[in-house]
Amino acid sequence: MGKPRRFDPNDKKYIPALLITPVQILLCVMLIFPFILEFVISLTEWQPIYGDFWTAFGSVFTQKINQGINYNYLVTEEPRYLQALGRTVIMSVISLCLEFLIGLGLASLFLKKFWGKRIWFTALLTPMMIMPVVVGYTWFMLFQYNGPINQIFGWIAFSPVNLQWLNDGTLAFIAVIVTEVWHWTPLFFLIMLSGLNAVPENPIRAATVLGASNFKIFWTIILPNMRAVIIIAFVIRGMEVVKLFDEIYLLTRGGPGTSTETISLYLYKLAFEDFRLAYAGSAAFIVLVITVVLINMMLKPIRYQLVEGR
Amino acid sequence: MPERKFTPFNFIALIAGLLFAVFPILWMVSTSFKLRSEWVTSPPTWVSSAPTVDNYLTILAPQVLLERRGGTKQVGDENFGGSKDDAAGGAIADLLNRSAWPGIKGSIIISLSATILSIVVGLMAAISISRYRFGGNFTPFFILAGRMFPPIAIAIPFVIMFGPKVFDITDTYFGLIVAYAAVTVPFSTWMLKSFVDDLPHEIEEAAMMDGYSRWRAHFTVTVPLIKGGIIATTLFIFILNWSEFLFALILTYTDVQTIPVTLSKYFSATEGTLYGVQAALAMVSIVPLVIVGFFIQKHLVRGLTLGAIKR
Repeated sequence: MGKPRRFDPNDKKYIPALLITPVQILLCVMLIFPFILEFVISLTEWQPIYGDFWTAFGSVFTQKINQGINYNYLVTEEPRYLQALGRTVIMSVISLCLEFLIGLGLASLFLKKFWGKRIWFTALLTPMMIMPVVVGYTWFMLFQYNGPINQIFGWIAFSPVNLQWLNDGTLAFIAVIVTEVWHWTPLFFLIMLSGLNAVPENPIRAATVLGASNFKIFWTIILPNMRAVIIIAFVIRGMEVVKLFDEIYLLTRGGPGTSTETISLYLYKLAFEDFRLAYAGSAAFIVLVITVVLINMMLKPIRYQLVEGR
Repeated sequence: MPERKFTPFNFIALIAGLLFAVFPILWMVSTSFKLRSEWVTSPPTWVSSAPTVDNYLTILAPQVLLERRGGTKQVGDENFGGSKDDAAGGAIADLLNRSAWPGIKGSIIISLSATILSIVVGLMAAISISRYRFGGNFTPFFILAGRMFPPIAIAIPFVIMFGPKVFDITDTYFGLIVAYAAVTVPFSTWMLKSFVDDLPHEIEEAAMMDGYSRWRAHFTVTVPLIKGGIIATTLFIFILNWSEFLFALILTYTDVQTIPVTLSKYFSATEGTLYGVQAALAMVSIVPLVIVGFFIQKHLVRGLTLGAIKR
C-alpha cells in the first residue's frame, strides 16, 4: 500500500471500465446531452426564426424562465397531445394482442409435421425483414380505394366495395393496425415457436392419457410454461410499438385529420412542420419520462432473465 | 411436445397466414414491373399486360431512358417524346433527379460505417458487462435506454445539436453515422453480450494460465470463438441501420441521402406520386435485407429480444 499507485491498463480493476468507456461516451453525447438540451429548450419559447441555438440557451439564464408555460399549455389546453398519447396506447394494445394471437396460432401449427415446412416458415418470416418505409408504402398501395383490398372484399361480398380506407378516420385506424400486425406478427410467431418448443412433453402426455381436453392442456400446462416467453415478447414489442412512426408517415401522415396521429407523428408535426421546437421539446420530454418509467416497470419481471441471459 | 395430426382446418389457417404474409410483397413485385398507365387503375391491374423494366431504369440508369427519347433535347423540355406508358414521363430535369444512386450510395456508406462503429463499441461493452459484471444491473439497462426512447423525442434536440454553431454536422455522413450507431448500440451490446455469456469463461482463464494478458485473452481467444455470433450481430445491426428512416429524414437535406428518404420523396408536382418507380426502389432496397435476413434467420429472435430468447 505504501507504493504510489500508478495507472496500469492491465490491472483487473481498470479493464472493464476502459472497455465500457466508448459506449458511455457515445451514449452521453448522443443521449444524455440531448436529454438535457431538450429540457433546457423546453423551458424557453425559442423557435429557429428567433436566431440560433445560443440565443435560446442564453434566454434561459438572462430572461425569466417561463415557469413551465409549455408544460402547462400542453396538459391543459392541447387536447391533441393527450389524444395522441391515448391513441398510441390503444393502437399498441390492439396490435400487440392481435400479433400475439395470430403468432401463437401459427406457431402451434408449426409444431406439426407437414410438407414444405421449411419454405413456409421462411415465407412467413419475410414481412419482418422488410424496412418500415417499404411496409408503409406497400400498404398505402393496397389500401387505395381502387386497390386490391377493396377488390378482394368485393369478390367476397359479390358487389363492388368502395371503402375509403385512408380517408376515413376509423378505417384509417384499422389500416394502420393491419399494417403493424402484418409487419411484426412474424416476430411473435418466432418467439412463440421457441416458447412452445421448450414446453416439456411428459406432462402433456400424462394429461392426454388421463383424458384432459385440448383446451385444458393448453390452459393448465402450455400457457403457464410459456409465461416468461410471453412476457418477454410483450415487453420487447411494447417498447418498439410505441415508437411507431415510419409506417404511418407513409400510410396516412397521421390523417385524415388527426385520427391516426400517434405520439411520434404529433411530435414530428409540431417540430418539423410547425417549427415550434421549444414546445415540441417539452412534449417530447414528457414522453421520454413516461417511456422510461413505464418500460422500467415492464422490464422488471424479465430483468433477471435479460441480465443472466439464460 | 407430442406430435399431433395436421387437420384440414390447420391447412386452411396456414394458407390464410401465408397469403396474408406474402401477398403484399408479391403485389409490390408486380407493381414494379407495371407500365405507367397501370399503376393506378380501377379495377386494379394484378399483373402487367406488358411487363417493363422502365421503373428500374428510372432509378438505376436514367440515361438509358433519356437516350430512348432522343436524349439531346434541352433540359426542362416538358413531356417531349414521353408516351403515357413511359415510367419516367415529364421533364428531363426531373428524370435525372430521380436517379436513386445518391440514396443508394448514402445508405451503403452510412449503414456500413454505423454498423462497424456500433459493433466495435458494443463488443467492448459486451465483454465488460458479461465478464466483469461492470456497473451491476445499472450499466446494461442504461445502455438499453437508448432503445426505449421514441427516436423522434431524441431527434428534436438532435436538430439543434447538429445544427450550426453547435456541432454543425447536419447533412453530413458523419452526423448520421454517429446518430445511427447511438440508436443501434443497445442492440449490438445486448446481442453480443448474450454470445459472450454462452462461451464458458474457463477458456479465457486457461489462456491466462498460459501467460496471456487479460486483453489478449479477451481479444485473441474470446472474440475469434464467437466469430459466428459477431457476424450474425453485424448483419442484424446492418438491417436496422439500412431501415432507419426518421433520423435521415430530419438530419439531411441535399448533400446526403438514404434510400428510405429517397423512397418517401418520389413525388412530383406535375405527375403525382411515381408509384411504379417507388415500387422498383422498394424492391431494390429490400433485396439485401431479405438475403441477409435469411442468412441470420435463426439469430433474429436473439437479436430482437436482446438475447433473452436464444432460438
